[in-house]
Amino acid sequence: MSQVFHDIEKKIINSLKKNPIQTPETLEKSTQLLPDQIRRGIEWLKLKNLAIVDESKSSTLSLGKNGVDSFEKGLPERRLLNLLTNGPRKLSDLQKELGFVFGPAMGLSRKNNWIETSTDEIILKTIPSILPGEKTLQQIGSGNLSKDQIDKIDLSELLKRPDFILENIMTSKKISLTDSAKSMDVSNISGAIDVEANVPELFVARTHPLKDTIDEIREIFVTLGFSEIFGNMTQSSFWNFDALFTPQDHPARELQDTFFLDGVSAKKIGTAEQIRKVSDSHKKNWRYQWDINEARKMVLRTHTTCVTIKHLAEKKPDEARIFSLGRVFRNEKVSYKHLVEFNQIEGIVVGKDANLRNLMGIQREFYKRIGITKIKFWPTFFPYTEPSLQTMVYNEKLGKWIELFGMGIFRPEVTKPLGITKPVLAWGGGIERIAMLKYGLTDVREFYNNDLGWLRSNTKCQ
Amino acid sequence: MPVITLDYSRLQKLVGKVSKKQISESLPFLGLDVESEDEKCIRVEYSPNRPDYSTDFGIALGLQGLFGIKTGGIKLKIKKSTQYKINVTPSISKIRPYVTGIIAKNGKINGDILEQLIQMQEDLHMGIGRKRKKSSIGIHDLNKISFPLLYTTTTRNHKFIPLNSEKELSISEIISDTETGKDYGNLLGQSSQVPIIIDSNKKTVSFPPIINAAITTVTTKTKNLFVEVTGINKDDAEDMLSVVATILQSAGFTLENIQISGAKNSSPKLQEKKMSVDSSLINQTLGLNLNTSKIIASLKKSRLDAVSIGKNIVCTIPAYRFDIFGPMDLVEEVALGYGIQNFEPTISPSQTIGQTNTLSLQLKSLDQTMIGLGFLEALNSSLSSKRVLYDMTNRDSKKIISVLDSKSQEHTILRDCIFPGLIENLSRNIHESYPQKIFETGSIFNLDNPISEKTNLAVISAHKDANFTEIKSVLQTALKIGFGIQIETKTAINPSFKNGHCANIIFNKNIVGIIGEIDSKIIDNYKIRVPVVGFEISLSDSILKSI
Repeated sequence: MSQVFHDIEKKIINSLKKNPIQTPETLEKSTQLLPDQIRRGIEWLKLKNLAIVDESKSSTLSLGKNGVDSFEKGLPERRLLNLLTNGPRKLSDLQKELGFVFGPAMGLSRKNNWIETSTDEIILKTIPSILPGEKTLQQIGSGNLSKDQIDKIDLSELLKRPDFILENIMTSKKISLTDSAKSMDVSNISGAIDVEANVPELFVARTHPLKDTIDEIREIFVTLGFSEIFGNMTQSSFWNFDALFTPQDHPARELQDTFFLDGVSAKKIGTAEQIRKVSDSHKKNWRYQWDINEARKMVLRTHTTCVTIKHLAEKKPDEARIFSLGRVFRNEKVSYKHLVEFNQIEGIVVGKDANLRNLMGIQREFYKRIGITKIKFWPTFFPYTEPSLQTMVYNEKLGKWIELFGMGIFRPEVTKPLGITKPVLAWGGGIERIAMLKYGLTDVREFYNNDLGWLRSNTKCQ
Repeated sequence: MPVITLDYSRLQKLVGKVSKKQISESLPFLGLDVESEDEKCIRVEYSPNRPDYSTDFGIALGLQGLFGIKTGGIKLKIKKSTQYKINVTPSISKIRPYVTGIIAKNGKINGDILEQLIQMQEDLHMGIGRKRKKSSIGIHDLNKISFPLLYTTTTRNHKFIPLNSEKELSISEIISDTETGKDYGNLLGQSSQVPIIIDSNKKTVSFPPIINAAITTVTTKTKNLFVEVTGINKDDAEDMLSVVATILQSAGFTLENIQISGAKNSSPKLQEKKMSVDSSLINQTLGLNLNTSKIIASLKKSRLDAVSIGKNIVCTIPAYRFDIFGPMDLVEEVALGYGIQNFEPTISPSQTIGQTNTLSLQLKSLDQTMIGLGFLEALNSSLSSKRVLYDMTNRDSKKIISVLDSKSQEHTILRDCIFPGLIENLSRNIHESYPQKIFETGSIFNLDNPISEKTNLAVISAHKDANFTEIKSVLQTALKIGFGIQIETKTAINPSFKNGHCANIIFNKNIVGIIGEIDSKIIDNYKIRVPVVGFEISLSDSILKSI
């Protein structure tokens, strides 16, 4: 096998062939490479099993604050003994002259029997020419030394003392070639390149991950025989609420839940017959004075159901499978769980076979196609469907059941006033929630942050 | 939606012999969403259409049905009495015209029960009472009241000691100084007269819909209750009363009636109603094939009574089930009694052929073209802010469409174009490597009888060599490959773009968009350190084929 080497690698190998054991610093000198190039070159050669890096630790000693003090003025006990050479001295005088080293000096000198104390005088008994530790202090003081050059017993005298000796541990690298490298010819095959080296990263242009999920869902519904319809995001309250049997004083119709457009209301909201029949249904069932001006107020749609019901009211099909995908709005505080604007899928089935078990069956089929098999149905309440259910799906990653689509059969109070005679199955839910499961996100805001780092690195097939 | 905390041991006592596990597994099948649960308690969310689930007494009735411990309708037993009367004066008609009520005797009220009753009252006020506007409840200690009562009006100088107060306050003071006064005082408007219930000793019992008198406060020593409901609609007030009466009876009280007269008021009936449903509607809707006896058994489990007359099922519906409007509601009751878990999902072959909308198809082709040109797709909200849409990009904000009372400052205005959002996106990515090339297709909004929604494409390129030629090449190629059309660019002046480096996009002699180098002030505003070029083009009117 012939190997291709980078210039850096070639220079290092050649230098090591001449001088077999080197440090990064000596290599720098001999190859004229930069420290970073040396570091990378050694790393590459190590990975290729061509260089051995022997890391060793050594420690050097230097003086601390008190050590320096003693190196300059003598050890505290030496200073004390020197003061006593001209005869006994008063304890208080010595204390004054020696300051804070007086205590340790006294302690050591007494312990070693160099001095004697009478009532208030200190008398010198003997004065050794070299005190323990003095030799070491001199050695270290005149230059940093490695630990093994020092008399260990003499050193231990000083190590006991606070802030006397500092120990610095240093790592040094010794680089040598492996046997195979020693015999290797590093002159490259002419024109060859390093095909194993790392290459720069490229950023792919791509669709947004959420859009991918939306496309996937669209595809599933089309293959299940559904046709896609569109509608406006701005809707009159009439289609968003009234036509869906939501009374005008319902809490969902308050500013705190729904976005009303400031000063915008619709002149034409429906046919005279639609308006009359819807208002009659409200008056009869909810017992209040229905107000057309409330119905004219424009809102940002809170669901796509307004689009499907409008479509049904217009076409009155006997048989239909229709779906709608689009943005819906809620006046909520934005958090990791909630957005003010998100995407919803909404599907409806019209026909004589439209029954609750079929509604559940379509859900089961849809979930199966997005990879969710563990599902169950719970009853729930929506103002415009009866019966109403919600799907709970089991999320293996989270280890819990989470709520996905809501569904039901449109109430006669909804369909009858709009002239829809066949039963209508309807269901829908948020798409971000499904996409979060797919991309393993815990914060729904990430879909709209447009963080290029995330968009550029996300895996397409998940 | 309201949430109620259920104590397992209390619930087990009320329901009968069932385990905690059985309870927690069955609650969802009453339509209750489990919020959280621990050893002692379970918190569930209930739908506002079932106010009887605002207490554990009501939930216990439902569970008994599901478990088959007790099934069939809950009958109110109201003892006839002439002892309790409320007279109503005509002056009230214009303010809060209706009052109704009931007497509940010989109950035991401990701390838990008191808590349940207060919770129920709050939930009823918020839900069907529409924050006390439609109807509101007062629950009083019967023994502190001398009948007959008078429901009448009084002035704002009228004084009494309200609940949770030690001293006498005037109505005006109650409205301005007490918590409930501040919250609900506005329901009375500016009227100088306000509603009041006074007993035969001229003592104030209640100031609806704001506050009760302190003297009638219910405590754990209270045995007998007087419940009054006032409101603006007679039927709504009686609906609310029916929930309270049902719960109090379940809590062990004996009910006695109150006679009410004057100013279009009358004694409450709290009557059951009959409704019939065709068994074939039930089976067709549910996709089942149940015989009438199975249907009746299912309805009984949902705590309704029913008999069959031929194919018809005739149901008896207690007054508190005013959520039942018509036969379809009975179909759901059958489904719940039958058990949603017992439904086997089926799928019938489609009779229709599916179709993607042409708009989706065209936009998808455009996305693919942009990606081919090396652009990454971004997504922004249609609801943006003045800062992003106008201030930062130096655009005219005269014709904005804003939403009322947004909880988020970043989402207050519907966008009328897309590129300002994309520039803002760049500002959040200045640490990422360049070139940064992004695009977005989406809806934009304009005021137009009332609002027009159109689809735009916006494209932005940012890197050290970005210039007009580059972005015009992108525009030209995108439209040629995407839609097979040729565009032209004609010099224009636009406050978001650099003078002399900006043009209108012309298609079929119409201006359909804008292209150019983004003005350096805008780039500075966002602390972006490279030139930015871009364009935005309207697709709806002439470029996308009609949908």
